[in-house]
Order: sequence, then C-alpha cells, then structure tokens
Amino acid sequence: MKIDITKKLEQLKKDGRKILGCFPLYPPLELFYAMDLVPVVLWGLRGSVPDTAESDRLLQNYTCSVARHLTEFVLSEDSGLLDGLFMYNACDTLRNLPEIIEKGLEKNGRSLPLIKVHIPMVLPAQTDASAYFKNEIHHLVKELEERFDVSFSKDKFVEAVKKFKHVRNLMVRAENRVTQGRLSFLNFADAIHECWFSTVEEQIRILESLIEGLSGEVEFSTDNNTRHGVILSGILPPPTSVINAIESSGLRVVGNDIASLGRSYACMPEISEDPGAYFLDFYYQHFPCPTLLYTGDRRTTSLFGLMEKTGASGVIFVGEKFCEYEYFEFPHLVQQLKDKGIQTLEIEIAIEDDAQTSAHDSRISAFAELLKSNA
Amino acid sequence: MPEKVKTEKVKTSAGRHLSKVVGDAYMDLHAKAAQGAFVVWIAINVPAELFLGFENVVYGVPESHAALNAAKGVGVLQCEKAERLGYSMDLCSYARIDIGSVSDGGKDSPTFGLPKPHLLVSDNNNCSLLVKWFDVHHRRIGVPHFVIDVPFCYEPQKEKDRKYIIQQFKDLIRTIEEMSGQKFDMDKALAAVSNTSEGIRHWKRFLSFAEHQPSGITAFDSFVQMAPFLVARGTSQFVDHYKLLTDETEQRVTEGIFPVPDEKYRLFWDNIAPWHQLRNMSGGLAKFGANIVGATYTLCIGTVEGSFDLFDYDGGDALEYCARTQNCYICPHGMKLRGKSMQTVVEKLNIDGIVFASNRSCKPYSVTQLDQQKLMTDQFGVPSVMIDVDHADARKYSEESTFTRLEALLEQIEAKRAA
Repeated sequence: MKIDITKKLEQLKKDGRKILGCFPLYPPLELFYAMDLVPVVLWGLRGSVPDTAESDRLLQNYTCSVARHLTEFVLSEDSGLLDGLFMYNACDTLRNLPEIIEKGLEKNGRSLPLIKVHIPMVLPAQTDASAYFKNEIHHLVKELEERFDVSFSKDKFVEAVKKFKHVRNLMVRAENRVTQGRLSFLNFADAIHECWFSTVEEQIRILESLIEGLSGEVEFSTDNNTRHGVILSGILPPPTSVINAIESSGLRVVGNDIASLGRSYACMPEISEDPGAYFLDFYYQHFPCPTLLYTGDRRTTSLFGLMEKTGASGVIFVGEKFCEYEYFEFPHLVQQLKDKGIQTLEIEIAIEDDAQTSAHDSRISAFAELLKSNA
Repeated sequence: MPEKVKTEKVKTSAGRHLSKVVGDAYMDLHAKAAQGAFVVWIAINVPAELFLGFENVVYGVPESHAALNAAKGVGVLQCEKAERLGYSMDLCSYARIDIGSVSDGGKDSPTFGLPKPHLLVSDNNNCSLLVKWFDVHHRRIGVPHFVIDVPFCYEPQKEKDRKYIIQQFKDLIRTIEEMSGQKFDMDKALAAVSNTSEGIRHWKRFLSFAEHQPSGITAFDSFVQMAPFLVARGTSQFVDHYKLLTDETEQRVTEGIFPVPDEKYRLFWDNIAPWHQLRNMSGGLAKFGANIVGATYTLCIGTVEGSFDLFDYDGGDALEYCARTQNCYICPHGMKLRGKSMQTVVEKLNIDGIVFASNRSCKPYSVTQLDQQKLMTDQFGVPSVMIDVDHADARKYSEESTFTRLEALLEQIEAKRAA
C-alpha cells in the first residue's frame, strides 16, 4: 500500500485532533467522530512497520500478520501520535492484545488509555441482546467523556452519521467503477485504505476525487470485455504484487468480499440520534463477516449476490495465514460455489510473503486459463 | 532425551472406575440416542447440568471426543480426513479430528463417534473459533446451532455480563423445550449442579495431594481424570468417581506410595494436555526425578477467574452459579488474572520450574504465555521453559526438541539451587 500512515497521523495531530487507534475492523466510528475524536482503524499495517521485532517478543509466530503488525505499530509508534486505543471482541488472538500491548507499552515507559466494549455475538433470533448492547454503548459514551474530556451531543452524532453515510455511498460508487472497469482495483483499495487514516471530511475529498477520475487511472480499459471478472474474498486485500499478478494474467477484479473493504462500507444503517439504536442496527444488519459470529448463515447468500451484481466468473479466496475465522469457512464456500459451477482459487498470504509472492503467480495464471477455457 | 522408560502399568481402582465411567457414558449416549432421546452436542464450557433438567436430553462433547481420539492414537488419522476436505492444517487439531470423524460417521473413533445431534450448542468463552467449528456441523448436518456469548474477562466477571449469560441460558432452555417437546425441571437441574459441586469438592481435594512432598499425584493423572467432567457432570456417578479417586489417592499417600518417589524437581504445566504424549512425557520426566505436579488446565475447574481456590455452590440459584463460573477456565480471562492465580499456586505447591507449552492448536491459551513467562521468571524468580506442542496433532510435536528444553529447565533449577 502506498500511504505513509505515520505521516497521516502526524498531520492529524498537527491539526490538534485526538486520535483513537481502533481494532478490529468495525468500530463505532460515527460515535468517536461526533465526540471530537479521530478514529483510525489499525488494520492492514503490513507496509507501515519495517519488521515485527518488538511484537515477536510478545506474540508467537503462529499468530496472524494482522495482530503482529498491529502490535508492532502501536509499540514502535513512540512519538505519542495515538491518544488511546479502542477494541471490541473479535478473534481469540485479538482479545488478548489489549493486555499484551499494555504490557509492552509499560515496558517502554509508556501508557495509553485502553477502551474495551463487548459486541454481543448471539444470534438475534435466539437471544435479544439489545438491552445489553445499548448499555455497552451508553457506558462507552460515559467512558469517552471521562477519559478525553469530550462530550456527546445528539446533533453532532446525527451530523457524523450523515457524513459517514455519505462516505459509504461514495465507497460503493467507487466500487461500482471498479466493476465497470473504469477504475483499477489497486487504486481503489489504496484509496479506501487511506480513508481509514483520515478525517471524515478528508475521506469525502479522497473518494470524490477518485470517482471524478482525478486520481484513479483506468489501467486496462482497452480489453475490459475480454477479461474474466473475479471477486476477491478475505480479511485483507492481497499484496500489490498479487493484485498485479491477477491483472497481468488476463483477469480483472470486479468486486470484493474483503473485510477491510466491501464488508466495511456495505452496511448503511438508518439515521438515528440514539447511538445505541443506531449501532445495534449497524452490527446486526452488517455485511456478513466471519468475525461477526451471528452473520455466518448469511455469508453464502451475500457472496452469490455479489457474483450476480458484478458478473464475476470466479472467486479468489485470499487466506491470511493463521486466520482461523476465514479458514473454517473456505471449504463450505468453495463447495457452495462449485455446486453452482463457479470456479475458485485459494491462495495463502503469510507474514513472510511481504517481499515474495511470486509463488502465487503460476497458480493465478493457471486459474485464469481455467476460466478462459470454461467460458 | 532420556532412554525410553518402561513404566509399570498398575491400574488403580480409580483408574479402572474411570474406564467404566467413560465407557458407560458413551454406550449410554448411543443407546439413548437410538431410543429417541434429544441429542445435543456442546462445547466443553456449556453447563451440561442444564440438560439434566430434562427427562430425555443427552449430550456429547466434540472436544472431549477429539481428545479421546488423540489419546488413543488416532488423532492424526482423523485430522487428515478433515484436511482432505479442505480444512487447513493450521486449524485447531480438536476441530480437525472432530470434523474428520464426523465426515465418515465415526469410523476409526474409539467410541464410534457421537450420535447425530438435534441441536448444537457452542460458546465463545474458551475460544471463538468453536463457534466457527460448530458452524461447520450446522451446515454439513443441517441442525440448528445455538451460540452462547460469554464476554471475556480482563477483570473479575461483571454483574451485567453475568445477567446477560443467564438470559442466554434461559433462552437455551426455552429452545430445547420447543425443539424437544420436553419440559424443563429446575429442581432436577439444581440437583445436578449440587452433584457437580460435590464432585468438584472431591476433585479439589484430589489435586491438593500435589502439595505433599513428594507429590501424591502427577498432572498427567489429573489430565486423564478430567474425563468425567465431560461425560458425567451432574450425576451421582460423577460424585462417586471423584470420591473414590480422592480416597484412594489419600490412602496411597498415607501408605507412602508416590508416582515419582525420588522427586527432585517439582514442575508446573501451563496449557492443554498433550494427549498423544502423556505416557512418554511423564515417564521421560520421571527418569530425571522430575514430576509435573500441577497444571493450570486442571486447577481452574470449579473456580472463578483469578484464583484456583474452590468456588463452592451455595445451594442457591443454579443458573447464577453456572453463569458465575463461565470464565473460570484459563482462556476466557486475561493475562493479569492468569498471572495472579499462577503466582499463588506456584508458591503453594512449592514449584521449582514452569513448563509453558506453546500450543499451536490453542492460540487463546498460548498468546499471552511470552508475557506470562517473563512475569513468573523475571519478577518471581521461577525458572521456566517454553516448549512447542500441539494438544492433539502428534505431527506438530518433536520429542527430541522438547526434552532438550526440559533438560535445560532442570539445569536452570540446579543452577538456581547452587547459587
């Protein structure tokens, strides 16, 4: 990825903003923004740390690269750019990170406020967790007010909700351009990634500029019609070299089921001045993601819907090594797609693959040939 | 690495009784299922006592079944079946064994698998991936999946979380009533909780023989003796078994019979048992006069997070008690609480060294161990070692490398004594 995250954070800091580092992927951004904090989602930090020297002292090498890069980034970020950390429950590794990071910071003589919230993972049809959830949000608001000397107002919340709705709409419009072949997936993914480290106003600017064609170049407009469209699925977009390999093999990425991309912006909850009600809707109507345990049954349907919308002829599953959530679901999804005659390819990205992904090239080429021969 | 030790296998009465309890439980499960009982598959931490509140509901525990497969030497065979279906070798080996076993109807399983369920009940307190694992069955077998969501504890369990858990227990009871057509009887569930509680009191007394020097037990004994928790909780057999085990252990200690009589090193284990290596590891260590006398894995049963002391049932609200103990196992609570309980027990058992077993198949147990090791060694001065294991996949274990590290630990202990 092309953006320099540290520079982005420095800029935010210069503007006098308080920055809240958040993980995993779907924090209540609108609430933070309404309370004068700038949330940045600490995900996809592969290119933002030189190595994982610090985190390797704290995490075993069989934890995923997301956790290792995240830990490394927070521990090595020593200029006080982050004002706090927010996390909600996700996978078994991430739920232990707050204490691991806290300990790591302590060792370096630092500390950061760590704010934790439990998002209910029950199936709504089995247990009504709305009261519990609303209470969690209520306590979150109180904690933010106390820790950061900020205050909540309904008007500001509604304003933030509207802005984020606009941002998500712009992201969908940009994604449609990718589907139409008017924008390269790589440029699209880079822009969305940059949004994660920008204020909401800047996000709007980045996306409008992308859509208006000021920054998103069309890279393969001449032969769009002859290329087979594929959907990428995983928790992160693959490294640039893999995207290049996909595109140079005669395939075209026309859609995504990527946690840090499509799954993040697909949900458009109703505008509400009550953060409890708004985020209940946000989490329960969320685009299916293995990290939101109650969405499992909707996963296949949403993937088929994406196939239909984009006209894709195949799916490439991008597995992040050691991400159990994704790996438990791949065999089922692959089988479901196969039963419908849809071809799939599974590739695995490990932390060591930062520099070397050429091993995937021949498999991607073979997959492209397969799609051509089946056409 | 030590030469292979020929361990004399003298089965105690409790050992024989254990085989009977486990054998009977699986036979009974299959028989009742065949006669039309409502069958539930549950995660280990789901309070099985609730099912005893029904007239004809039986339960199987896939994790326990997987451990049994591993202990009986067919773990790898079952894992390979799952891998052929596309499940990654990086996934938990319990899950792979279970998925592999289900894929061919329990062929190769020492218990002929588990009878087909009507309902799956998972939870996310030990690990969230259990929900994904049970989802695999939900899709392949086509039965409903009830998920119990237990908030992780960084601090002692909060009342709001306990109420939320109780609400889910009530919803689970209602779901089973609706699905099975049976009526739940709270008095029966209460009696089951009382039985479990009484059995746990015996269990804690059994574990306390580790305080004796030399120890009256090994952690390996306690690993094996956990089985009734997974197949007979809430029953009178459960109570009888742990009473027999404890009384017999007391008798042996009185008579001066110890598993490692020339005990020179008292060690402590942190993680799930390495089911495929119990005999080799205990025998290999005994040759050095080393005994793993305690383990977080077994000590946490019947407690609450942050302490290994017994959390006794007071005869009150059964659901409240079940909810309060939902975070007691090691994985559902955080590093500070784990450190607190480990520090206390290491002192109590007069431990010389700690074996941190970094377990590729159990990230929630393992990911804080590097910090935990620093805490115990740097802050409290207890020598320790980190070894690599997988609780059920023997392909991911090297005996040579493990014993090299264990021997290094014993040298550390000697060096400390000499200093």
